[in-house]
Parts: sequence; C-alpha cells; structure tokens
Amino acid sequence: MKKFAIGFYALLTAALLAWGFYQALYAAPDEQTMHEAQRIFYYHVPSAMVAFLFFAISLAGSIGFLSLCRDRPEQALAADAWALAAAEVGVVFCSVVLVTGPLWGRRAWGVWWTWDPRLTTTLVLWLIYVSYLLLRRFAAGPQVRTLAAVLNIFGALDVPLVYMSNRWWRGAHPGPVFGGGADSGITDPAMLRAFAWNILAWLAWGLLLLVLRYQLERQQQKFAARQAQEAIEA
Amino acid sequence: MDPKALLDHQFTVAAYALTWAIQLGYLIILGLRWRAQKRADARAHRRPR
Repeated sequence: MKKFAIGFYALLTAALLAWGFYQALYAAPDEQTMHEAQRIFYYHVPSAMVAFLFFAISLAGSIGFLSLCRDRPEQALAADAWALAAAEVGVVFCSVVLVTGPLWGRRAWGVWWTWDPRLTTTLVLWLIYVSYLLLRRFAAGPQVRTLAAVLNIFGALDVPLVYMSNRWWRGAHPGPVFGGGADSGITDPAMLRAFAWNILAWLAWGLLLLVLRYQLERQQQKFAARQAQEAIEA
Repeated sequence: MDPKALLDHQFTVAAYALTWAIQLGYLIILGLRWRAQKRADARAHRRPR
C-alpha cells in the first residue's frame, strides 16, 4: 500500500513537472526586455523557494533533535533524520539556483558572477549546508548529531539574510518577484500561471525526494543500531 | 535566427538541462544508496549469529 501510494505520488509529480515544463517554455509569453532568457526564472525562482522551505524543515528537525535527545531518543533520531534529509535535498535545490542564476546573469549582465549581496549570501548558504553534510558524512562519534544540529541552527540564520538581501542592500540582482511591494512582481497572468505551476511541480518533486531520503536515513539508523547491538552481544 | 535570440535560446536550454541533470543525478545517487542499504541488510540477515 505504501509503495503504491509513493508510486502514484511519483506519477502525479512527473505529470506536474511535464506540465510546468510546457508552461515555462511554450505557454508563457516572451518577456519584452530579456526575451527567452527570462524563462530561466521559471526554474530558478521555484528552486530557491523550495530550497528555503527545506532549510526551514531542516532547522525544525535540528531543534526537535536537540530538545528531544535527552528524554525521547527514538523521536530525536526521527527528527534528526528529517533534518539531514531536508538539508540534503535543500542543497540540491540550492545548487540548481547557483547554476541557473549565473546562466541568466551572463545574458543579462554580461558576467557569470558578481559579488552582489543576494549572490554572495546564497553562496554562503550553500557552503554552510555543504559543510553540514560533510560533517555528517565524515565525522564520527556520539556528539556528531548534536554538533551538526547546532551548525544547522546557525546556518539557517543565513536564510532570512538571503531573502532580505535584495531589499536591504543595493545590488545587481533583480528585485523580489513576490512580496516586494506595490511595483514588484509579475502582472501577466500567463507568466504568473507558469510560475505557480513550476512552484507546485518542484515542491512536489522536492517532497518526494525528502520522503525517500528520510526513509533511507531511518533504515540506516536502524541498521547501525542493530550492528551496535550485535557487537555488544558478541 | 538572429544571433542574440539564438544565444538566449542556448542559455535557456543549458539552464533547463543542468537543472534536470542535477535533480535526476541526485535521484540516481539516492537509488544507489537504497540498493547498497538493502544489500547490507540482506548480508546482515544471512550472517550467522
């Protein structure tokens, strides 16, 4: 039943992604100044939104782990698995942001990269979460989960900085697409539709990856616990 | 086709292709890790205690 539900959800997600792709490349009209290169935004902006959401989930997981680890270790391990899974999927989406952004920038600004506040804070965010994943992968010992959770909490402080960077500081990056004030945002309904479908599609895809990664982490945790128990018994 | 429009098209295709490569690449890595975990589980079950 669980496999069927995941399979059905995966099919639905594939259909949403295909529809989002069609909306972005064919249904949305050409933007007047950027022309076709503006269509990069239909993947770039939803990826950034999903990355932010997943870093927030990861933060919640780490807070949950730290608050539960003394009294309820089993729930704490589940919270830690959510934190790790969300951080990993968040890094994947943040990587997409850092790859598609310079491609657009090269066409719009003539350069691949500039040390604009939005770009710089996003790169720092990516580096913090990559270091979190490297810590989880290579460090050993009973305190790794606690140290990683603390790093995650401090790393997540960069998310609001990234979000506000193009409001607080002047830079080359375009203004906010959503929630930036009266003169910001998209007015064309067909462009808005393309954005909305791609946000939905990439969110669905991200949730699918998140659940798969969470289940894998739980299996690995249980496997490690069994191995440790067997080693004690031997 | 005008060269500017052609370049715009190529950059857009590159952005979409790289997005899919990153996302599907991660899915493949996840699949390989699932398989490795399943094999490790099976080996542990087969091992006599």
